[in-house]
Amino acid sequence: MTGVHVRAKGSEVDADAKPHRWFPMTAQVLETKLRRPQQRQRAVVRSRLTARLDAGAHLPLTVVSAPAGFGKSTLLTEWLADREAQGKASAWLSLDERDNNAVSFWRYFASAMASTGQGIGAEALSLLDAGAGQIDAAIVSLINDLDVLADDVILVLDDYHLIDNADVHAGIEFFISNAPAQVHLVLATRSDPALPLAQLRGRGQLTEVRAAELRFTDDEASQYLNQSMNLALKAPDVTALEQRTEGWIAALQLAALSMQGREDSSAFIAGFAGDDRYIVDYLAEEVLQRQTTQVRAFLLETSILDRLSGPLCDALTGQGDGRSMLIDLERRNLFLVPLDDRRQWYRYHHLFADVLRAHLMDETPEIIANLHRAASTWLDDAGDPIAAIRHALAAGDFTHAAELLERAAPAMQRDRQEALMRDWIASLPADIVRVRPVLSNVYAGALLSTGQFDQAEAPLADAEGFLEAAHSAGAPASGDAAMVVSDALELERLPAYVAVHRAGLSLVNADVTGAVAHARRALALSADSDHLVRAASAALIGLASWSTGDLVEAQRAYALCLVDMRKAESFADFLGCSIGLADIQITLGSLGEAARTYTTALQLAREQQASPVRGTADMLVGLSEVHAEAGELEPARDSLTQALALGDANGLPQFPYRRRVALARIRESEGDLEGALLLLQQALPVHTTDFSPDVRPIPAMIARLNLRLGRLPEAESWVREQGITVDDDLTYLQEYAHITLARCLLATHGTDRSDDQSAPALAFLDRLLAAAEAGGRLASVIEILVLQSVALDARGARTEARSSLQRAMVLAEPGSYVRTFTTEGALLAPLLASVKASDPGAAFARRVASAVSAPTVGTAAHQGLIDPLSERELEVLRLLSTDLAGPAIARQLFISLNTLRTHTRSIFIKLDVNSRRAAVTRARELSLIA
Amino acid sequence: MSTTSVGGHEHAGTYEIRLRGHLEPRWNAWFVDMTLTTDDDGTTVVAGPVADQAALQGLLRKIHDMGIELMSLTRLDPEQAAPQHSEAHHPPKG
Repeated sequence: MTGVHVRAKGSEVDADAKPHRWFPMTAQVLETKLRRPQQRQRAVVRSRLTARLDAGAHLPLTVVSAPAGFGKSTLLTEWLADREAQGKASAWLSLDERDNNAVSFWRYFASAMASTGQGIGAEALSLLDAGAGQIDAAIVSLINDLDVLADDVILVLDDYHLIDNADVHAGIEFFISNAPAQVHLVLATRSDPALPLAQLRGRGQLTEVRAAELRFTDDEASQYLNQSMNLALKAPDVTALEQRTEGWIAALQLAALSMQGREDSSAFIAGFAGDDRYIVDYLAEEVLQRQTTQVRAFLLETSILDRLSGPLCDALTGQGDGRSMLIDLERRNLFLVPLDDRRQWYRYHHLFADVLRAHLMDETPEIIANLHRAASTWLDDAGDPIAAIRHALAAGDFTHAAELLERAAPAMQRDRQEALMRDWIASLPADIVRVRPVLSNVYAGALLSTGQFDQAEAPLADAEGFLEAAHSAGAPASGDAAMVVSDALELERLPAYVAVHRAGLSLVNADVTGAVAHARRALALSADSDHLVRAASAALIGLASWSTGDLVEAQRAYALCLVDMRKAESFADFLGCSIGLADIQITLGSLGEAARTYTTALQLAREQQASPVRGTADMLVGLSEVHAEAGELEPARDSLTQALALGDANGLPQFPYRRRVALARIRESEGDLEGALLLLQQALPVHTTDFSPDVRPIPAMIARLNLRLGRLPEAESWVREQGITVDDDLTYLQEYAHITLARCLLATHGTDRSDDQSAPALAFLDRLLAAAEAGGRLASVIEILVLQSVALDARGARTEARSSLQRAMVLAEPGSYVRTFTTEGALLAPLLASVKASDPGAAFARRVASAVSAPTVGTAAHQGLIDPLSERELEVLRLLSTDLAGPAIARQLFISLNTLRTHTRSIFIKLDVNSRRAAVTRARELSLIA
Repeated sequence: MSTTSVGGHEHAGTYEIRLRGHLEPRWNAWFVDMTLTTDDDGTTVVAGPVADQAALQGLLRKIHDMGIELMSLTRLDPEQAAPQHSEAHHPPKG
């Protein structure tokens, strides 16, 4: 259901979504999550466990599974520090609840992997920007990147139990079974992950460290209590403690804290060992009893915080000693974990926090809401609206939460936190949201951008209701609850924003006419300075028109959209829309205009300070496409090489697939059909159109190549899968598939000259031609005429065939659509030869004829070499002249490093050189490369 | 997700969870809507209504996160397990 997908994506051209695509996604990665925790001092040496981890480090997966407080993170931290000291690479990722979203999870995963080697994860991160649809492609890309690593690397995912998203588990499972041998994953988790552990265990691919092994042994307990904690306990006491706690490290820590400075350790241990109480209750009670009233109150009151700082604690306690208190607690090992090096932020060890909160809920439940309220106010003032909202919700302060949400919405949208925003607004009482039209509209936008289209209607209608009431009465209608708005400016912008969302929703519901009407209304309602709303409205009109085949209107709308995007300085979106505009121009027959669209965009991108602007590489791919269409292979190759040199990190989400399709186009023009087919197959998994209609689906391109390769059954099975027939209604979105169907039918009956067989195909071509002409789609008209000409010629109708061909050439000449003819190759040769010099289009015919027969650049005689370089070697040579490293070149050519070395060796021999630099110099002398 | 219902997935029930060790009565506030009873055999029984399977899993996770050993889990109202007869229950606040 491509159409639905396209429309669904279309709604993401969401007005209030600030320009996000040019915003480097890495900026949103919290670096602290990628940092390995600091090593604790005075830790117990656990060589029996690190040896076990070392032994398992050659396997794909290690699982460290045990409840909280068993020292999992500490063990892994120490192990990795040891390995690092030996020069071995590792990466760390501390997961949290927010990573339960697959896109977020893989973004962090790729970022963590990126720290292990140059260029790793760039393409994956770029793909993930396109959303959940590209996760599989991103994982594959990551695996390919890791393949070139020379050394082993270990990635630890800490707190993996926080993940309960089945998609993430499936992705991890895929990663484990496909990752190269030098990559090892370590999961630290409180409960066993939802992975096929038994299967992995059976295949000997899994190392496990479980609670039984993690427990402190008698010796370790003794080392911890007597050396780390300086308790001087007797051996029987240590044994009793070890047995009562069952080696649970968190409990031993609590016990140690309870005994510090105590004279009667033995008596304490005896009392403890003979007690049935939940161990943490018993020990935490001991620890709390030993604190002053002031410290105890501080611990309880601040236990509601996820993160603590001195001033924040002061806001809750009403005291001024927060900072010194935290420093003191940390010094005394009271389960406070520092979150930064500057000792500003801390958190409680969660087990201790649970106990503290239980005490708080039991002793003073009435103050809890006020504590949350104080935290919310402080965090809001400190500029952390997200944490402020969380505490406002916990306080049950829904009105305040709504207020905070409304204010935080623009920033949250910019950071693509729509899903969180949606869930929070959904948790508010409906009547609080309903009286806030700005928030209702934000809610509608969040629902639209997270694909929950059905639910977007109600809040959108609520916002519209207020606007209509205000419009008809000059004020909200009486009887309605009073309207609440946080920012009057937002209310002014609201009518246009609401109309954009309405347009998006209409498009989702396949109401194209409605979508265009609402988008036009949005344009009319928006202030001239509200460039983003204007750009989004124009983009929606463009998108709707494009999808229905009204390309003239689409072209106009996209051109308008570009003007506003430029003014909004939304450069990556400008570049993204340029792709759409150029594509439309190519179809409309203005190849030259398309080239100008790309060069203008390229120029704009290069003028920017933050050069290269993301998307620059995509413009170069576009230029390559335009050149290839015009039969200019050399410039097509050059543009693509430049694009590849910029790399995937510079590309928009559609770059990974477009660059492969562009290279396939060049390969096909060079006659390397198998190479082109391979590239298209590689483009398939990374395919995303971002928010454009998929007007040339890759499977249809593959079917065409299969036809050219004489593989009829493959092409026919594609037709069956598509379920398309010559009796279908003709739409623009299906045009490419339908022309492919016509090609398939003609190929089937290519040798059969009887009228009966090819008549339906010819009739179908007539219908396609009429539709393309009616839509003004010149490029399609040319292609259909060429096809018609070939088909007529096959039936022996040479005169009619020539007439179709001449029509095609007359239309193609101004825009130089050479490739449409050359791809037909030998089939057209006799017809071309029959075109007389005096015929219309004769000059173009000569151009096409020479392009068909012309040797590709630099082959044989032209090279001035005894043993000429192959096409592939020339390509390697071109990439050798860039700054790309070997692995990067191999990846761009989709070959292994070994194959690349073979090519390089051969080039060196043929050029009689022995270094990369000498090869490039020699190639320049021979004009083999620019 | 498959449309065939796995019996009782969406339905409330009353559960009895037996834990090792005696929990202080203060945890009553923590386990919203549940009652805590300590037994002479050194175990604690947490019993009460659970909104659905997801809520039950959340409860078990909470217990697991506290490092408490789970001894047994029993559903007390088997006659309500038949999906078509059960009524909607409001999830416990928390």
